[in-house]
Amino acid sequence: MTATALETMVRMGELSVSRTPGHVLASIGLGSCIGVVLIDTARPLAGLAHVVLPSSADGSAGALAKFADRAVPALIEQMTLLGAGRTRLDAVLVSGAHMFGFDSESSLDIGRRNEQAARDALAQAGLFVRAAATGGNKGRTVRVHVESGLVTIKEPGVAEVELFSNGGVAERSR
Amino acid sequence: MPKSYPEVHLDALREIANIGSGTAATALSSMLGRPVDISVPKALALPLADAVDAAGPADAEVTAVMLPLVGDLDAIALLLFAPEDAAVLCELLGVDVRTPVGISALAEIGNILGSAYIGALTMMTNLALEPRPPQTTTDMLAAIVSSVLAAGAAETDIALLLDSELTVEGVECSLSFMLAPGKDGVAEILSRLGLDA
Repeated sequence: MTATALETMVRMGELSVSRTPGHVLASIGLGSCIGVVLIDTARPLAGLAHVVLPSSADGSAGALAKFADRAVPALIEQMTLLGAGRTRLDAVLVSGAHMFGFDSESSLDIGRRNEQAARDALAQAGLFVRAAATGGNKGRTVRVHVESGLVTIKEPGVAEVELFSNGGVAERSR
Repeated sequence: MPKSYPEVHLDALREIANIGSGTAATALSSMLGRPVDISVPKALALPLADAVDAAGPADAEVTAVMLPLVGDLDAIALLLFAPEDAAVLCELLGVDVRTPVGISALAEIGNILGSAYIGALTMMTNLALEPRPPQTTTDMLAAIVSSVLAAGAAETDIALLLDSELTVEGVECSLSFMLAPGKDGVAEILSRLGLDA
């Protein structure tokens, strides 16, 4: 982590990948949306997708990361283009919260469905979810530190905490 | 599917927001016994991510009362206050915002304003709409607005937000009122006004 980190905002339906040391990928205020983080365990390389809805079968295509079933393969592809090894990718999931109670009993519980769809898409790609901060009824901000593979989350009124720390950091910096 | 909405449609929607928020301001004013001003409402048709940005600073803490509307169309009415403004409103009503009574007072304000707003909308469009019970939460602005917009985002990448600002005179207190119709909701409103979506 560097003090002068260059932060890229990954907004609703967007995704971003980076291999720039010192770079931070961030989504501020994820609610029912889910942040899908991929980290290459062997080099400074990370990606973040800000997924809005579970399935492209429910609607029309649009922003690349809008639907979980498309966002996950797209994120993996962009990581691979930057030199990521498919077998070296660790996944982290953030949010998919249930911000309001109104949709609890219906299929409209978007947060939970987003999480399930993201997990399904990751499993289909053979990737493991190493850490997750999901569900609940509070929004979360996620920050992904490209160089160290550190993932932090921040909930309102609570200090930022570490969610995931890439075990390969020491090995990488040799 | 439209990439955006033509200006004439936005004008019509802005007019709806104007009349709706005027009615809501009257309701708030009689509840508080104070004059309430309204700003010229904004009708914003923006890509999802830009619509969240347009709502304000992503990590600003806001108190939200969310009112789902069901009937001839689906929409969500959203009342947003800065936490200090929510406290002032509660104080005007003689309750403490940090108590369950305060929270339910805010929900009731949401209910009354939302009902006034959709009453006006219903009258103009002849749509049958009713509010579901309001939900109140305090969280990051982006988490609230994005979750509301996500509900209507399946078929379109353009979010429509009708945004009005209400200011209570004589005290430092304002709140914003947003209506986020789903995709079909916008088309339905426009067609009732004689405009083809």
